[in-house]
Order: sequence, then structure tokens, then C-alpha cells
Amino acid sequence: MLKGKVSLDVTNLDNFEYDMSKCIKCKGCYWVDHIYMSGMDFSTRCPSATRYMFDSYGAYGKMRIGLAVLEGRMEYSDELLKTLYACTLCGACDVGCKRNLDLEIELSLEALRIKAVKDGKGPMPEHKKAAKKITEKHNRFGSPHQNRNKWLTKDIKVAKKADVLYFVGCSAAYANPEIARATAKILNAAGTPFMLMDDEWCCGNMLYSVGMIDEARKLAKRNLEAVRKTGAKTLLVSCAEGYRTWKVDYPKMLNISTDDLGFKVVHLTELVDELIKQEALKLTKPIDMRLTYHDSCSLSRLSEPWTPWKGERGKWGMVSPGLERRRGSNGVYQQPRDILKAIPGVELVEMVRMKENAFCCGAGRGTQEAFPDFAAWAAEQRLFEAKTVGAEAIVATCPWCKDNFARVVKQNGEDLKIYDISELILAAIEG
Amino acid sequence: MTVKTKLRDIVGAENFSDDPKILEIYSTDFSLVPAGVPNYLVKPKTSQEVQKVIQLANKNRLPVVPTSSLVHFNGAAIPKQGGVVVDLTRMNRILEVDEFNRRVRMEAGVTWEKATKELAKKGYRLMMPLSPHAMRSVVIDHLEREVITNTVYDYGEPMQSMEVVWPTGEIFRTGSASVTGYPDSPSKGANPSGPGLDFYRLLQGAQGTMGIVTWANLKIEYLPTIDKVLFAPVGDLGYTIDFLHRILKVRIGQECLLLDNTDLAALAADSWPEDFEELRATLPPWTLILVISGMARRPEEKLKYEENILEEVIKNEFSEIQLDNNLPGFPGMGRKLLPLLRQPWPKKTTYWKQRYLGGCQSLFFITRPGMAPSFIDLMEEVAAQYGYPVDDIGAYVQPIEHNRACQVQFDIFYDPTSEVDVELVRSLYRDACGVLASEGALFTRPYGELADMVYENATGYATALKRVKKVFDPNNIMNPGTLCY
Amino acid sequence: MAISKETYKVLETIVGEEYISSDPVVCEGYRSGPGGYEAGLGYERVMTKIPGCVILPLTTEEVQKIVRACNRYKIPYVPYSTGWYGPRSHCHVDDELLIDLKRMDDFEIDEKHLYAVVGSGVIYSQLQEEAMKRGCYIIVGGGGSQCSAIANMLGDGWSPLSYRIGLPHRRILGTELILPDGELVKMGSLAVQDDPFWGDGFGPDLRGLLRGFTGLRGCMGIVTKMAIKLLPFQPERLKPTGISPHTALELPTNRVKWINFTMPSKEAMKDAMFEMARAEIGAGATKVPIFWRAIAKASCKEEYWDIWSKESEETISGFHLLRVLLVGFGSEEQLEYEERVLNDIITELGGEARRTRPTDESWFKNADSAGMWLMCGGYVSVDYVIETLEHALPHGENYAELKKKFTPPLMPDYGDPGWFQSFELGHQGYSEFLVYWDPDENTDGVDHFYLETSKENIRKRFYTSLLGPHQPLYLTGPAYGPNYHKWLLAVKDEFDPNFLSHPPVPLAHDVFVEKADWMRPMKDWKSPKLP
Repeated sequence: MLKGKVSLDVTNLDNFEYDMSKCIKCKGCYWVDHIYMSGMDFSTRCPSATRYMFDSYGAYGKMRIGLAVLEGRMEYSDELLKTLYACTLCGACDVGCKRNLDLEIELSLEALRIKAVKDGKGPMPEHKKAAKKITEKHNRFGSPHQNRNKWLTKDIKVAKKADVLYFVGCSAAYANPEIARATAKILNAAGTPFMLMDDEWCCGNMLYSVGMIDEARKLAKRNLEAVRKTGAKTLLVSCAEGYRTWKVDYPKMLNISTDDLGFKVVHLTELVDELIKQEALKLTKPIDMRLTYHDSCSLSRLSEPWTPWKGERGKWGMVSPGLERRRGSNGVYQQPRDILKAIPGVELVEMVRMKENAFCCGAGRGTQEAFPDFAAWAAEQRLFEAKTVGAEAIVATCPWCKDNFARVVKQNGEDLKIYDISELILAAIEG
Repeated sequence: MTVKTKLRDIVGAENFSDDPKILEIYSTDFSLVPAGVPNYLVKPKTSQEVQKVIQLANKNRLPVVPTSSLVHFNGAAIPKQGGVVVDLTRMNRILEVDEFNRRVRMEAGVTWEKATKELAKKGYRLMMPLSPHAMRSVVIDHLEREVITNTVYDYGEPMQSMEVVWPTGEIFRTGSASVTGYPDSPSKGANPSGPGLDFYRLLQGAQGTMGIVTWANLKIEYLPTIDKVLFAPVGDLGYTIDFLHRILKVRIGQECLLLDNTDLAALAADSWPEDFEELRATLPPWTLILVISGMARRPEEKLKYEENILEEVIKNEFSEIQLDNNLPGFPGMGRKLLPLLRQPWPKKTTYWKQRYLGGCQSLFFITRPGMAPSFIDLMEEVAAQYGYPVDDIGAYVQPIEHNRACQVQFDIFYDPTSEVDVELVRSLYRDACGVLASEGALFTRPYGELADMVYENATGYATALKRVKKVFDPNNIMNPGTLCY
Repeated sequence: MAISKETYKVLETIVGEEYISSDPVVCEGYRSGPGGYEAGLGYERVMTKIPGCVILPLTTEEVQKIVRACNRYKIPYVPYSTGWYGPRSHCHVDDELLIDLKRMDDFEIDEKHLYAVVGSGVIYSQLQEEAMKRGCYIIVGGGGSQCSAIANMLGDGWSPLSYRIGLPHRRILGTELILPDGELVKMGSLAVQDDPFWGDGFGPDLRGLLRGFTGLRGCMGIVTKMAIKLLPFQPERLKPTGISPHTALELPTNRVKWINFTMPSKEAMKDAMFEMARAEIGAGATKVPIFWRAIAKASCKEEYWDIWSKESEETISGFHLLRVLLVGFGSEEQLEYEERVLNDIITELGGEARRTRPTDESWFKNADSAGMWLMCGGYVSVDYVIETLEHALPHGENYAELKKKFTPPLMPDYGDPGWFQSFELGHQGYSEFLVYWDPDENTDGVDHFYLETSKENIRKRFYTSLLGPHQPLYLTGPAYGPNYHKWLLAVKDEFDPNFLSHPPVPLAHDVFVEKADWMRPMKDWKSPKLP
């Protein structure tokens, strides 16, 4: 809808006709913010466009393709699905575009996937397989649901009732128990009681991300009710993808605002940063390491809270009522850095592409499942960037990032260490 | 009606000649290019007369050789296949001095002497090559890309728009002078580029083969309020060139050049031959000349900060440079040289290149500044092979645009009345060019037989040039036998 | 005719199967509009098509082979670096091959000799940053940091920093050009050696074929490599700061400083520029259009309109903001000197310094240029002329009057007479008119306005950027030169006898006028049968 009633409802691609038709092909979605452009190397932040090169893989191409889909000029094909899904929805394009303009690129891409699924053409077969696992086993691995809390060790104290509910997530529960354990032990060490869900199910990140909104919404409703029942005031996560899903996608799907969830969604790094600054947690054990921090997309540029909006678009494309757009300015950028700097012995070096310019690890939002080669390629790019700044280790705040980096490092026989920040925080407490 | 009659009708009988004695004047110049006699001479006064001459020449497939002055050193205006010489010296008006935009529009026949004098009256100057002959054409020297002595202006070349009569006989204005009715227009002709193609580029360096330029707009600069001429005797040329890399990048100075003892002596000598011989013997092998200046406002303060920068750089990075107001042992050199850098060589005095032995063949090329010393060595080797005294070859290095490049020039002095000397210099020049080119010297202005050598190594370029030439001059009437045409 | 399987195979052999596609999804991704520079207008709707095939070469050799194959199999083609320039950089005929040059991002830099060698895929912000790391700088053209450096050097290449640095034509050094018929011409020093440091030709300078004033839009061949002259800068770092959308370069104000001055009149601004040039100080001098300040202040489109709607003809005509850049190239002392001189000038002319942020968002990296679309979604610089300040000011006033007749559909600008600057230390002046419209309304008026601008320039004898392929060639041709079009078409004919290089450019706007119903009545000039 170019003029008239419009909303940010992603279930209707028509809401983004204006945005798709106003892409000016400046490729702010592709290049690192020119102010931060560091030269010939590491100059792009869109993994898809960097990898596949044809314009169709950048947002500038996808906006045009999306318009063709909306206007019925584009038939579904393998190439179309690849264009839509060989993309981590990392938000670099959205933030890059919004440096200068008011276009909703990320939402357009989400809406396109939702339409592809609604039209019976998407998602990719691998997504359907993973969706089946989530439906049947409540985790994306298809592992036995009853093993979800197996990560717990005896030395971890879990409260029956607490203000803080730790939502572990599939990855930490099944594939990266070290993250779950570290998180839990940090909370214990900080004297912050926490509870777990009686019956934790997958947050539905992948379902929503690939456009299976009906399934995702069903899961969201179930999970939201379950959390509300606990009376938790804070939902704590140690997974950036989970963070975004709870904080942004749930309200989006349920047409409420983040504030209306009834609890705060907090990432471990936000909590730990606050605790350190309040001196409730001290990081005293040195870690002598030169490391670099990778901004996980969903904790950084994609993490601003959601407010539903509907209104009208009129002359010059102006909308009313006014709309404060999510431009990635208030992501969780600084807190992880402050934490790392507070660890004695750590030498924190920044990669060229950092904060809102970070280059996605390649794993998230359905990419790892359907395009593992692409995910590995993106990780390789990022790891090379880390090595260029002389880092011995790369630290992320998301098991998806950690896993993908670790897989590539192992595959290539490299000696770069991969950590989740929870592991380093714990090491700095316990030694 | 014969061609002769028609030509006479176009320019008037008094401006036409087919008298062999007159034509002989145009058959040679101060270069070593062999003589070539035209069939006719015309001296038009207006662009319309030029146009009619060219139209007639086209109809009759008659070569046309333009010349804007009677002073030539490169042979470009010597007819190679006869034809009509179009002498533009009557087209010698300064058409406009536009003070707000610092622009002068002048006809092709305006000389350095005339232009410099007129502009100085109003407080302006032209960017100049090193001490040009007073009677040479300003427009043609810039069209031929003579390298200027001033390195400080980032925007570079002074040429703006111009009027040309194409080889097919159309009168055409380039750049922003192309608007209908120019100069009666808001457009002043300050933009050289366009319309459609950059015609001005096709005319530059063309040696009259692409048409006849009748007038041009050129940038003028203010005469500085105060000047200081600084000298440094040069021991190690490479070291001094590194120093220039450092200081010219921070936009210090106006004119900046390096002269060897022979060329500096030729410029500076008062009496001949004694003064010249003494200077040549006692001047340092090379001298750096740097003019720093204060402009319209707070001129002393400008000089001060430039001097401070120079002092710091020399103290901290180039301690061997002895830059001073005077050239030690040569009092008054600054006072002598500054006018030579701002005005053409005085008309009344024999041209500096001709004072020594009467003749001078200049060999010049573009290169990276750091390569200049090796080219100088190479030239000396070639000269030695010919038994040519190195002292009789002057050398000059002109930094270009913050010293990102330079022109190296060798002035081979010789006695033009001696056939033996002439042949020797001709061979020496030819061989030296070949040797230098093979080591990377860029002969971007290939005069005379140098053109064959250059285009043999640039066949792709030459092919494209010929294709362009075919479009503009389908009958190949403009100065045929020149360049690669 | 569609690109046949056999031809496709030939092309695929040149680049490899990964780098060629005729898939409709891929090709749709290369559609010109509907958004973009000059997009959403009639020209774009009528004249552009999606490619029949897209190919991504890596080297000059590959490009040459592709062009030769196109000539053999009569495939029209268009070179494409970023596609940023809008419809004129996109396919215009059916089954055209789009040669996407983004893979050609070779880069070398020689700071001692002040040049960088780039491929067509290198953009300005990359080049600028590499230059600044080494104490040099370049002009990032008005199109912004996302422009391909080569493409912008061929059609634009100026900004307020042209005050000191000057025309882009002189900054084009050794260059490789693949002519439309597939011949490779190396220009400047590249003609005889591998070193591209020098630009002038051997004898006549074939760089004359590259651009004219405002470019040939790829109809005269493909530049695959260019050495671009750098200018010396100063040694201190311009530090990137802030988080999107508020990112900026923090200036080392002891060496680099912008200062804004309110001046009592437009004449005073012009005089200030004149005096600065006379004193030979400064590194940039430009009038600031008031609506740019509104864009800079606004956090969104709606806020922009809130601010802008409070302006009027009175406020516009009374607003005279001069922005000056000072750079202490050689030392802090130099900057201090220039600032003293500048203050002398401003005081004499009755101006006043305003508080100015010690940052640059725009001109060193020109990261802001995409903001031109914030207001309305549609934008083009209709005319942008380098001439003199004496040309710039009446050009602006004349233009403002003409614009009024076409407002709406143009965005109301309360008679703003455009943007002007001083170039080449006062030897030149620059005027530019940026117009905006709502692309979702009827835009016929904008198309008319564009053509009317061309006619007005001719009537009033202004120089103009609307030459060559930018407006009908048979309209502008007779009026400039005269008959520059004759030479342009003759040269085009010589080098592109098969008319395959971006057809029907340079006659595309002529064809547009013939094809579009709402344009045809405006044709009052003669032209032969068009392709």
C-alpha cells in the first residue's frame, strides 16, 4: 500500500510496498557505514551479497524482487527461494538503510518469507524438517525432550521461585551445555536467585525466522503463558537469537509491545554489566588473552524493543501517527565490551567491522539449516577478520555464533579459540 | 579561380604570399627537423577568415599548417607535405581580462611579452614554463602542455575553454564557451570540459593536427604581494628530490625548480662568454630554487608560517639541505631570477637557450622524480658515447603537482652553423631519446621524428588516435606527416 | 533477439558458470526502479528494462572478451558498476547483457606519487579511507561514498572540496578503456608501460573520449582500470564516532575545521568566496541550502516536514549560510593563519561565525548523500553546472523561477535558488539544483520540468550538465558548440558501428520524448529518425 492505511504487520506484504518501492540502490545495506569504512578490506556487512555477488542477493535486489512477488510478476522458483533464504536476516541492511532513510527493510524480508510460506512455496525443505523436530520434540535438534535439563550439575542452585527466570534455550540445553552451566553459576556467584521453566520448549526462533508464523505464534502464545504463570519479573537469556525472539518477535507476532510482555527480557551481559557496576559481582581472576568481541546480530542491531504500529501514509510518504523507527542505535553494544575490559589480563581488540557494522557469523535464522556452506563461508570471513587484528580468541554472546565459529575452526584446523562470554565471565570469577 | 586567388581574396593581398623568400621563413625553425616548404602563406585576422581558408583547403585537399608565432623550437609548424601555412600572428588581441573570475581570453597570436605586460598592469600573472621566448604564443604553449614552474595550485592546468576551427571548417567552441552567443552570455568560458566529449583534450598536444585554435580562456593568478627567493645548493640530487616530496606536499612555495650549473648559468649570465663560463664553472652542480610568497592578505604571516615549516622539516628530517635567501657565492641571484620566473625572456636579449652556442635542442620527458638522477646519469653516458661534452648539455628538473611527477629536460647546446655539430646532435638526440624511453621516460609530446619512436611503442594508442583523427579530419589536411598521421 | 543458448555458453566460458545468470529472479534484482536516483519518473518507466542476462567479469581481459562476443553475436550491453546513478545506468533494450563490474575491485596506492589505481568495483569510501591512512585525500563526489570511484570520475567528481582540488578531469591518470567494438585503449603512461602514474596522452589526449562534462553513461565503452590522482592532506586522523544513524568523523580541529557563517546577503556570500580565493585560503567553500539543515536535524521524514513547513519565502530569502573548510595542510600555524584571514574577510562583509560541530558527516566520506531521498522518496539533481560564480547566481535565480511553475509536483522549496560553491580557488563557480517529488503521485510535471530546464538553459545561454545523454541530444546539440552532437555521434559511430554499447544512449532521451505521450507535445526541435 503506497498511500492509505498501513501497519508494521508482517503477515501482509502489502504493508511494505512503499518500503520495497523506495529502495534507492545506495547499498547502505551492503557496505559498512561509510564513516567507519576502513579501506579495501572488510568493507561490506551483508554476507549474502558478499558471497553471492548478484544484486539479487543484496537488499537492493530483494526489494525489487519482493515488489515483483507482491505484484504477481514473479513466479516462485528454486532461485527465488534461495534468494529469500540464503540470508541470515542479520539486520545489517535494515540498520544501514535507516542511517539515512525510513524504510523497513528487515520487516519486508520477514514479510516476504511469511508470504512464501503462506503461498505454500517456502520454507526450505531443511526448515520443514527442523520445524517437525520442534513440533515433536520441542527442540530444534530432535533430541529427547526429557533431556532438556540434563546440562544441570549438582553444584548449581536453582530456586523454586525467583524474580529471574533463566530461559536456557535449545542450543545451550543440548549442544552448548557449557553456556548454560556458566550462566547458572554466574547467577549463583552473584547471589541472584533464578528459576527454570518446568517445561521449557523451543522459543521458536527458527520457525518465525523462516516465515512459519502460524506455528511460531502458537509456540509464542504457549511460551508466554508459561512464563507469565511463573510470575517472573525478568526473563534472562544467554542466547542472542533467543533474546531477539522473546523481546522483539513475540510482541510482533502477538501484536503487543515489548513492554506488554509483563516481564523484562534481559541478556546475561546486560545483567552482568549491571552487577559489575553495582559491585555485586567482581571479576578478579586474570585471563591473559588477546581477544576480540563479535557483536551477535540479535543482541546488537536487532535488539531494540518492539512497539506495534498502524496508521496512514500520505503525502510525501509521511506516516501518521508518528513512528519511532528501530534503527539499531540502542542495541547491547557496550555492555559486553565493558565486561571484557573488566577482566584482568584481557586485551580487547576490536575487529574492523564492529557494533552495528558487524559481519554476521552466518548461522542464524534458518541459514545454518538450509545453507550450511554459506554459513561456514560467513564464519570463515569473520574468523579471518579476527585473526587480522591479532586476536587469539573470539568471544560471542550466542551459541549459534559460537557453534558456527567452532565448527569452521575445527574443519580448517585453526588455532583460534572460540568462547561464549559466559565462559569467560565464569572463569574470571572462579579462576 | 585558382586556389591562390581564392586565398588572397579571403585574407587580402597584403596578408597572402607565395613568394619563395617569404615562404622560406616558415620552412625551418630552431629545431633539427628538416626543412619543409609550404606553397602558400596566409595571415588571417578573424576566425571567419581561418574558417574560409580551411574550407578551401578541404575542397582542394591542401595541407594546412597553423602557426601562432614565428618562434618554434620543436618543428611542429614546419610543413611536411607543402600546403598553406596559416600564420595567426595578426590574431593577437587580448579579448577580455575577467578579474572576478581570474580569467583571460586571448587570441592564439598573443605573445608572452604582450600578455605578461598587460596582466601585470592589473596585478595578475600567467602560469608560465621556464622563461619562455617573449614572442612565443601563450595559447599554443599551454595547448602543447608546456610544463609550468609553479607547483602549488592543486587544480593544475590553466587551460579553460577555447574556440577551434575544425579541419572540416566549422567554428566550434569547447567547454562552457560553447553556449550560443558566447561571450554575450552568463557563461564566461571557465569550464574546459564538454560539451558531450572533452574536445579540449583532443586538441591538447595535437601540434595543429586537429584544427586551428583561434582563442582560448586561461586562468590567471594574482601577483604575490611579497616574494622570497630561496636557494639551496644541491649535492645529492636524490636527497633534494626527497626533500621536495616532503615540502611540496604541504603546498609551500610558488615556483619550484632544479637547475644544473649549465642551464642556470645560461639564464643568469650577464656578459658573454666570460660571465657564463665563470658561472658554469663555479655554480654548484645543481641548485634548488624555491620562491615563497605572501598573497593578498597578511602576506608576512603567510611567509612566516611557510618558513617555519621549512625550518622544522630541515631541522628534523633533511638537515643537509641548506636553504637560504642567497645562493652562497652568488649575491643577487634571487633578484635576477625572480623576474625570469614571472616574465618571459626579455625580447631585446638573445634567448637564453641560444646565447651560448646559437642552437639548442631540448630533450624533455615526464618521469617519477626519484628517477631523475638515473636519467641524468644515462644521458651523460650517451653523451660520452658521442664524445659530447657534458658541460654543453644543460639540465633542468621541474617538479609537477606536489612533486608527484616531474619533467626532466636536457638542453643540448650546439652551433647550428656547423653541419658536423648539427648531425652529431641529431644522432645524439635520437639515440638518447631511445635509450631514455626504453628505461621508462615518457615522451608525451613527441615532436619530429620522436613521434615514430613513441608510436611504435604505443601502437594501440596510435590506432585509436588515427580513428579519432579520421572523424575530425577525414581528408587529413591538418598538418599531415605530424605525430602518427 | 534473446540471448541464445550458444551465446550464453560462449559468455559462460569467459567468466565461469558461477558468474553469469539469465535467471528471471537474478535479472529482476537489476531492475532500475521504481526507487532510486531519477527513478519513478517517465524516463525510467519508459526507457528501462531488466537485463536478459547478467555477467560478472573479473579482469580487463574478460571484459574485452565479453564485448567482442557481444559484437560478434550482436548483443547489446551496458556496463554497470553499482547501478547507483539510476535509470541511465541500466538496460534500455530487451535481452540486453548487463556487465556487472563489482568483482573488479583491484586496488593499489602510491602515496609518494599521489595516485591510486582502482577497478570499477572500488567505491569512494574505500578509496578515501586508504588515502587518508596515508596522509592524502580525494574528493568524494556528490553522489556519495557509495559511488564507484571510476564511474563517478567519468560523470561527476566534484564536491565543496573542489574549491581547492578542482576538476575531476585532471585527476584521471593512466586508464584502460575497452572501446565499444572491443578494442582496448590504454591511456596516459599505460599506453607504453605498466605504470599508470601519468594521464596526458602521447600527443593528443584520448581521455577526451571518456566523459565530456557530465559523462557518457557507458555508451562509449567500458573503463576497467583507472589511476586516480590523490591530493596531499594532513597527518592527523579523522576519527569515526557515533552509532548509526548518528555517525560522523571527528575532526582534529587543530588541523581540519569546518566553520559556518551567517552572511547578510547572497552577494556577501559570493564576495566572501571571492575574497577567500583572492587570499588563496581554504579547502572548501559552499552555501548551505536550508533544507539540508532540516534533514540533518530531523530524526525522520515526519520531523523533517515539521521543520520544513515552518519555512517560507521570507525565511529562505533571508537565510545565507556559508560553510568554509580550513585545513592546515602544512601545520597548525597554517590553519591559524587562514582562520585569521577568513575572520578578516567575514568581518569586513558583515558576517558572523556560528557554533559549528567539530565533525564531518558529509564531505570527507559523504555518508549522508542517501538522505536526499528522506524528504519525498524521489530526488534528482536536475542541473549541476561548473562555470563561474557569476554564472551560478543568476542560474540559480532563473531556475528558482522556473521551478515555481512546476511546484507541485515538485516539493515546495519556497523559491530556494539552489546551492552554489566556489571551485578552483575562485576560477570557477558551481550551481546545483536538487528537486524532490512524491513518486507515488503523477510525475509528468517533473518530466516536463526536466526538459523545460534544458530549453531554458539554451534560451538564457547558460552552460549545463544536461548535455550528451542527459537530455535530447538533438535539442542540445545545435545549441552548444554549435553542433557538438554531430561530433559525439560521429565518434560514437566510429567506435561503435554495431550500436551495441548501451543503446540507444546517447539518444535515449530523444527516444523517450518520442515514446511518451505526455512528452511528445514538448518536442519543438528537429531530429532525424531515431534508433
